[in-house]
Amino acid sequence: MYSRLSVPSLSTVMPYIYVAVLAIAILAVEPALIDGPDAIDVRFSAVFPLAIVAFAQTLNLFTRGIDLSIGGTISVTTSILAVSGSVKGADAYLELLGMIGLGIFIGAVNGLVIAYSGLQPFLVTLATWTIWDGIALAVLPIEGGSVPGPATSLILGPIAGVPKSVLCTGALFVLWAWLRHSRFVRDLRAMGSDAERARLIGVRMFTRTVQCYAFSGACAAIAGIWIAVQEASGSPTAGDEYILTSIAAVVIGGASIFGGTGSAAASMVGAVAYLMIPDLIAATNISSFWSVFLQGFLLIVAVTLSALAIRVRDRKLA
Amino acid sequence: MTDQEREGATPAVLPEDDRRAADTGEAAAGADEAASANPEGEQAGGYAGLAGLARRYRPTIIAYGLVLVLFAIGTIHTPGFAGWTNIRTLLVFGSFIGIIGFGQTLCILTGGIDLSVPWTLTGAAVLSSVLLKGSDANFVPVCLLVAGLAIGIGLINGIGVAYVGVPPIIMTLGMNGALQGLLLVYTNGGISSSPPQGLVNAVTDQVLGIPVILLSWIVVAVIAIVLLSATTFGRRLYAVGTNASAAKLAGVRVQRVLLVPYIVSALGASLAGLLLMGFTGQAYLTMGDPYLFTGAVAVAVGGTSILGGKGHYVGTIAGALILTLVSALLPLFWTSAAGVQIADGAILLGAVYAAGRRARGNGTGWLRHSLASFVAGNKA
Repeated sequence: MYSRLSVPSLSTVMPYIYVAVLAIAILAVEPALIDGPDAIDVRFSAVFPLAIVAFAQTLNLFTRGIDLSIGGTISVTTSILAVSGSVKGADAYLELLGMIGLGIFIGAVNGLVIAYSGLQPFLVTLATWTIWDGIALAVLPIEGGSVPGPATSLILGPIAGVPKSVLCTGALFVLWAWLRHSRFVRDLRAMGSDAERARLIGVRMFTRTVQCYAFSGACAAIAGIWIAVQEASGSPTAGDEYILTSIAAVVIGGASIFGGTGSAAASMVGAVAYLMIPDLIAATNISSFWSVFLQGFLLIVAVTLSALAIRVRDRKLA
Repeated sequence: MTDQEREGATPAVLPEDDRRAADTGEAAAGADEAASANPEGEQAGGYAGLAGLARRYRPTIIAYGLVLVLFAIGTIHTPGFAGWTNIRTLLVFGSFIGIIGFGQTLCILTGGIDLSVPWTLTGAAVLSSVLLKGSDANFVPVCLLVAGLAIGIGLINGIGVAYVGVPPIIMTLGMNGALQGLLLVYTNGGISSSPPQGLVNAVTDQVLGIPVILLSWIVVAVIAIVLLSATTFGRRLYAVGTNASAAKLAGVRVQRVLLVPYIVSALGASLAGLLLMGFTGQAYLTMGDPYLFTGAVAVAVGGTSILGGKGHYVGTIAGALILTLVSALLPLFWTSAAGVQIADGAILLGAVYAAGRRARGNGTGWLRHSLASFVAGNKA
């Protein structure tokens, strides 16, 4: 029974191929872009926030849900950090924990509203995104501010020569290796595959929905902390760009928005592929605006291939 | 229940076709509920009498009630709110949402959505602005070109959704990104030419005291209502949205029907783009940004189910008016941008909640309804 889950489907293998192709292309055109430890740190610092948000979005998609409010959560956490530049010592660590707590709270509220009202997650989180972006705007009306020193030293720099951005991204893959066979993730997949049957076999739908969105909120808060530290400032709209890009990364990673299928690891590799496109464009010296087109194009190609793969498989089964 | 049993029965490990079968079964079970809000089901089973009519149009009636309440609040707060000048301004602002809402209503009735509206809208405005170079000489050919491109965009979206089987939300999102990239490359990130004065004059003109923009919306609304209520195509659209498999068995060419909403949506977005360019007197690259979700929200607030099959453009008109009134009213009560945005989100949540509840009916079968909607809620 397990074989179907453990054998990767074509869609979740594709992101690795995209990354390989893009890497070869970049190496062929301009090897200097990938060479060197600094280049790797810069790349992974950009990858981590999108990867962690894509991780969370994958779980939301498992349940046929979606979380647009990650944008609001990122905006609010970066804004709060940016106005607390004077916080020192242990208080700064407490503040970081508080941010993650806030993320969990935001997510849990989403989950409660979705589970209780039965409304579309799309509409509920669209509304809460607007609300939390508004709160971010109240906290930090314009871009700027400064981030607490201890937070910066916690996140930037290497451990034993390996950049923390690489370690943290690696930790996400380890987390997925542990989570993928957990009861939690299996319940989420079951809910998305067939809600009625999931209920009949005893999945606690209400609790799982709340947990899923709370996890999503926590991940978005961590992404928000990361972005604030990287930028050394905050923006009340910092999170908005992560909403659509996280969905793009997950879809390039082969997860279906119709629930049940996909892999958070593949989604994170999808995020890497998505962020490699600007590098490739930079390497080729053509207008940087082409990367916007190519990112949209990759999304269409990836999703078309997944759709065709499903068709071919259905024909074989039939 | 033991671990082994649970894992054995987890649907995720079932073959795809089994899951499909289960889905179809569920859709059939929900069909009677869905049919009650759709004109065809109405005539077959139907409610009788005035109470039945009230129940059938309940979502729409409540949406228009909300419009009146919001309008009353405005009138009480600001005496000039009910004047014709202000109403006209509100209706003009509502027109952009309303025109976009036509295609979006069709998309959502089939269970889809069109997220490529922002850059289709921007594309129409920017392209015509650049090509016209400030003169009205080539207005008709440029309009035809823009319309042709819109049909092309809609066709690609529609083919992806209908024939390839790409989820609409992703297909149109990718299209939006691709269009954005192409336009940025085309304009190199900025636009210098302004729209021709003739177009600006025509758009800001009035006919019999009615602004041209509002008149365009009225025309679009009439087409939309006739299309949905009085044509065979409208019936096919509801049939596809309610249950595509059943529609196919009944002889509807489902894929061909699914093409239309995306073409209409792209055409509507282009029209809105041209009107918006004339209204603001310029084309700019961020002009479409506010319209990513606005059309879909107007549709949902107007009582159309985002799962498809249930709803009407008549509701979307109310939805467009509600959104316009809310954005006009909020600055009267909250002076800060943050306060306006927070209140906007809260009202959106409330309106969507109210729309969701009233779409579910009332009284009998409450438990069944809430269960069904909980199940449905997980299918976004």
